[in-house]
Amino acid sequence: MNYLYDETFDGFLTCVKHHYYTENAEGIFPNSSAYQMDLTRYAMTVETDEDAARIVHRAIVNKISKWDAERVYRVFCTNEPEKEMKMLRYLRLGFKQGGRIRLLHGHPVVNDVQKAEQRLGCEVHRLCGLIRFSETQDKLLYAGFEPDNDVLEFLAPHFTDRFRYDPFILHDKRRDKALFAYNKEWQIAAFGEEEGQEIQMSEDEATYRRLWKEYFEVMATKERLNPACQRRFMPARYWKNITEMST
Amino acid sequence: MDGRVFEKLTVLGESAKYDVSCSSSGADRTNIGRLGNAACAGICHSWTADGRCMSLLKVLLSNDCAYDCKYCVNRRSADTKRCTFEPRELADITMEFYRRNYIEGLFLSSAVLRSPDNTVERMAECLAILREEYGFAGYIHAKVIPGVSPEILTQLGFVCDRLSVNIELPSSESLSLLAPQKKATAIFGPMRQITQAQIEQKTLRSPGFRERLLGKSSGAAGAVASAGIGGMSDTDSNHGRGMNADEDGIVPDGAGTLVPGGAGALAPVSRYKYKERFAPAGQTTQMIIGASPESDRQIITMSEALYRKFSLKRVYFSAYIPVADQPELPPLLTPPPLRREHRLYQADWLLRFYGYTADEIFTDSEPNLDVDLDPKVVWALRHLDYFPIEVNRASEEELLRIPGIGNTSVFRILRQRRIASVGYDDLKKMGVVLKRARYFLTVGGRYFGDVPFEPLAIRTALGGGVKPQISLFETMTPGLTLGGEHELFVR
Ligand code: SF4
Repeated sequence: MNYLYDETFDGFLTCVKHHYYTENAEGIFPNSSAYQMDLTRYAMTVETDEDAARIVHRAIVNKISKWDAERVYRVFCTNEPEKEMKMLRYLRLGFKQGGRIRLLHGHPVVNDVQKAEQRLGCEVHRLCGLIRFSETQDKLLYAGFEPDNDVLEFLAPHFTDRFRYDPFILHDKRRDKALFAYNKEWQIAAFGEEEGQEIQMSEDEATYRRLWKEYFEVMATKERLNPACQRRFMPARYWKNITEMST
Repeated sequence: MDGRVFEKLTVLGESAKYDVSCSSSGADRTNIGRLGNAACAGICHSWTADGRCMSLLKVLLSNDCAYDCKYCVNRRSADTKRCTFEPRELADITMEFYRRNYIEGLFLSSAVLRSPDNTVERMAECLAILREEYGFAGYIHAKVIPGVSPEILTQLGFVCDRLSVNIELPSSESLSLLAPQKKATAIFGPMRQITQAQIEQKTLRSPGFRERLLGKSSGAAGAVASAGIGGMSDTDSNHGRGMNADEDGIVPDGAGTLVPGGAGALAPVSRYKYKERFAPAGQTTQMIIGASPESDRQIITMSEALYRKFSLKRVYFSAYIPVADQPELPPLLTPPPLRREHRLYQADWLLRFYGYTADEIFTDSEPNLDVDLDPKVVWALRHLDYFPIEVNRASEEELLRIPGIGNTSVFRILRQRRIASVGYDDLKKMGVVLKRARYFLTVGGRYFGDVPFEPLAIRTALGGGVKPQISLFETMTPGLTLGGEHELFVR
């Protein structure tokens, strides 16, 4: 049986329940992909059931571990292709193996999950450096960016610590949501493209951007040009949101 | 903002960029040009067009230098544009860049503006504005100007995370030839003071720790003061062209910072003004590679000694890029010895993380690193009788000696072995570089190399050519006596 779900974590956990109590899952897909694949005929739409989700979650924590429950959530936040089935396979193995599953690095099921998780971690780490803030007219710091994975909440600890006294907004333009933070507290809420565009920059903003760009140009050693290396660390898809790389 | 700030930032950034150090917050990282290093522990903010990680605003406070070091673009005799930042100007730029997440902190260096004391005082003023007035919490690394007085250095230390005093050149002969105003004394004095201040506040285990364990020296202070940096080499008899402390009169030094003769304190007990800590991220240094004739063995031996005696966090190497046509230096069009720099970093890595000693890395007949091959491979080829190593039985130390296996892979191998034996395919998933490692290991008794198990065959399989024995340096630099060992300018 193929399952369609609403792309929430609870929705996914509900699918896990159906896998065990209704019929084995052959595929789990987001609702939105149903039309492309003509799945509507062969798939069942799963109604997200919070109680079921909570039960499954508790089972993961008790039978595998809390850490693995978090791990599955991290994988859920990635854009890994077919992540749902990879997560399900991991959980099935986990229910058999218990907490030692995380030690089975060589196992393909574990390896899949591990890789997806690493990619998320890698993007989070990279974005800690690559996100660029601008100062708005009201002296807020605003940063718009387009991450591959759903990373907002994973960025929160780093930036709330860094900007302890500056209120700031981290805007995921791809998912139309933003993290609002001040004084170590934060929350995530919907935030559209237009709302982002309405923000006015402070007077000094342009000057500091120009100053940074000029400095950046100067710092490249002409004798050692190596754009491939630059692109490897700073992928081109991020450039339009990086002050020194955008035009 | 004043329009001249643009000019100052570009001119003073340009001057500072040849510095190789790019580490932040104690987590070390260096990207070595085209042979870039992907393992990045600290946060990098940007990468320049030459592929180097940029995480700090790297800039000079001034390039208006009173000295005349031959290898330097800012030497007194060079005709170049001179600029100097006002302390507040630079503090403002740093703070604004930091808020926008362009940078993780500031790497501040300077030319000698009138005198070392005057320069460092201004640096400290700028940093105090940042820390105290603006509440800047980012990372600060400052270069100490050799010859600065201890009181002023103390001020600087308390507003910095990390300090460095550059050795510049690997021997005192080269130093007096190429940087006549800089004395080894003036370099090691501040270095020792920094080490000492850190011991006092207990951020450091005292240097010479290892020697004391081995019963070679009486105490921490003794180790530093009496051994200095030339006496440091237990091996300096045969290749000891390192700087020699006693010869250079380091003990006690002219500024009177020393209690003579290796007794207790080395520097006057500093009056700790603030609650802040003195350079909590330790100190580093830098050497220019390829401007002077020292062998790799001398350079690595020197680094090893610096790590032991002064507990330095890092020694950085910087391939010399010719900036001036001087008889004592390689000619203007000499390409910077980047591969050599890269191999030196690899050797340095072996010292710091793999438990090798300088004497293991070199032999008397090979005082330089092989530019074609990783020094770890070279060592393994020289000791083929230790190999191949069975990954399912070897100890941690043995595993670490296998080329292509690093600390992380060793950790993973050991972890996996507790559950099940390791197969050849598992190794790849554990991050082992099989391209190199397969010639040096067996898995469950099976050998995976595709050439006969002998040095030459493996060497060729790994891309090592026949070693070039050309000595170009000799013809390029009359006036320096060389042992015909400098084939390294050939690329
Ligand atoms: S003191 Fe520093 S800036 Fe001045 S000439 Fe020497 S190396 Fe250059």
